[in-house]
Amino acid sequence: MKEMASTPDIQRLYDDHAPALFAFLLNLLRNEADTHDVMQELFVKLARRPALLAEARNERGLLLRLAHNAAIDLMRRGGARERNYDQLAREQTELFARSADPDEQVFREKLAEALGELPAEQRAVVHLKLWEKLTFSDIAQTLEIPLNTAASRYRYGIDKLRDRLRPLYDEIK
Amino acid sequence: MSADFENQLERQTMREPPRQWRAEILAAAASSPPAAIAARPWRSGGGLSSWLWPHPRAWAGLAAAWAVILLLHFTAADGPRLARNPYGQTRQSIAIMQQRTLMMAQLLGSMENDASFPALPASPKPRSERPLKQLVG
Repeated sequence: MKEMASTPDIQRLYDDHAPALFAFLLNLLRNEADTHDVMQELFVKLARRPALLAEARNERGLLLRLAHNAAIDLMRRGGARERNYDQLAREQTELFARSADPDEQVFREKLAEALGELPAEQRAVVHLKLWEKLTFSDIAQTLEIPLNTAASRYRYGIDKLRDRLRPLYDEIK
Repeated sequence: MSADFENQLERQTMREPPRQWRAEILAAAASSPPAAIAARPWRSGGGLSSWLWPHPRAWAGLAAAWAVILLLHFTAADGPRLARNPYGQTRQSIAIMQQRTLMMAQLLGSMENDASFPALPASPKPRSERPLKQLVG
């Protein structure tokens, strides 16, 4: 008795979830090549073990958790290879779509920089709350952390972003 | 301000993944065949054969071995009565032992009275009880 992966399922998974996984991973890893590697690793894993998603109540939540775990593994391995992910996070990463409005575009660039200055664990929580619209309970489950930790990381992260972006935000508001 | 600020952040649209990634990643996924991992039987509910997953033959062999062991056990129980009653065996052993002890005692007694056996040399007296002449030489 074996469960077979079907290609259309993987295609459907990719079409439904790749944009969210890409944004989350790019925000965490701040590097496109690593983001590609982790996404590929994730979909290969799903193709090899389709049972992983068979009983998932929340497909997106499970995929985000798998992506987060893979990203953390990569960062740890990167640490062993003396690849400095903190340094990478501070480098300019095109995280947001380009905006036709110049003020908006500047804000996006500064926001990407400010996100890069947050510790990875705060960045992950802020991302899931703001751009995945997850509740703290869902975030806690996805990142496998206590609910209070998720809430406090979000609060610290938002406070830092506000301090960093306040002049610009006041200007464009 | 906090809610406004958070709303402002939420409105920022994230970038989409590069288009060529789809083909690359799906090709990599398609070239990875599903691992030969059987579903867990207690989840699939496929009857006795699935409950005996993953090796029904091994389970059957184990059951047969136990059947042979039980058969031998009950067959041995119908053997000599002594084997079923360890106390009887113990009582008999004690009687034999007592008989042998008695024989040994009788034998030793006859040896002591027999003149053909030389008497054992007496152990020397303590030094303080020996005659002075013997000590001086």
